Amino acid sequence: MNRRTILATAAALTAGLVLAGCSTGSGSGGPALKVEGAFMPEPVTDDMAAGFLTVKNDSGTADRLTSVTSDIAGEVTIHRTTGQKMREAESFDVPADGELNLERGGNHLMFMELRKKPEQGDTVSVELHFEKAGPIRAELPVKETTHNPDKQ
Amino acid sequence: MLKKNALAVALVATAALTLSSCAGDTADSGSSPVSDVSAGTDEKAATVLDRPFEKPDLVLTDTHGKKYDLRERTKGKPTLVYFGYTNCPDVCPLTMSNIAIAYKKLPQADRDKLQVVFVTTDPERDTPEALGKWLKGAGDPSFTGLTGDFPAIQAGARRMGIGIDPPKKEKDGSVVSMHGAQVIAFSPKTDAGYVLYSDDTTADDYIEDLPELVEGKNP
Repeated sequence: MNRRTILATAAALTAGLVLAGCSTGSGSGGPALKVEGAFMPEPVTDDMAAGFLTVKNDSGTADRLTSVTSDIAGEVTIHRTTGQKMREAESFDVPADGELNLERGGNHLMFMELRKKPEQGDTVSVELHFEKAGPIRAELPVKETTHNPDKQ
Repeated sequence: MLKKNALAVALVATAALTLSSCAGDTADSGSSPVSDVSAGTDEKAATVLDRPFEKPDLVLTDTHGKKYDLRERTKGKPTLVYFGYTNCPDVCPLTMSNIAIAYKKLPQADRDKLQVVFVTTDPERDTPEALGKWLKGAGDPSFTGLTGDFPAIQAGARRMGIGIDPPKKEKDGSVVSMHGAQVIAFSPKTDAGYVLYSDDTTADDYIEDLPELVEGKNP
């Protein structure tokens, strides 16, 4: 292995890490979005579950999260939390050069009609649909019921 | 040899930078060091009330379908009361699970004393059976789940300083319910509600405070 090969390998590994670290939208001309910090707290029953993630928008074009689908749920809705109430939202803004945060105690994804109860250690796949950017697949690792990254 | 080491270092450094660029982005979304400090251990989770609440005269139905008189059953016992509903995917299970983690860490004698009472704000959907099933997963089988007429529940909550609105059916058929803003701790000494916990209280906060609450002390 000469020096050039090693460098090439390093570059390839780095690229691999980038891909593994963040899922990036394969948008067809839309804003470049990526999903980070996604997780699902292990639900307490097999009736419903919540999901949390951040959508980062590094472009100057604002977008909107309009719907979410998942293999594990008959229905996934996006929920806005106001005070101590939550209700389904039509869409969530993903501001230009900003981010959409779905976090505990706030806005979230709600999974209904679960096909199976996700357990800690599982991974739940979702597909996020946007008004402009192409769909993004994201993996939500299932964490303990009380998992809250903001408190760690 | 030196050259090879330098390359290896470069590779590791690149990898680390790449990884940390992702991790750094996540940190920006609310868990920056500054916000950690304000939400962390140096600020107390508990709010001790200058004017404690009298325990309301609340008679409801428990998860076995039996009559449950809150004053009578919790008299002289440390008691936590929370208002919520089982179709709540985030805050209600988070709150009950945090309490359950701390509860399980108490010595058995303290667990025998502490009463944890979950009162539904959505009695139409939360039957005794539904509440019982949910509490086993969200909390602990020893916790008490109560349901009954909404006006009675709402009046009881109001006397503890907790405002709850009745569940409302939306045009699309979904039901919007509401959980209480705080968990209230009642003292075994006075039977008054004297400490409040907001919904961002962690399991560690409860682990720290429950032994004090069991004694009726200020956390």
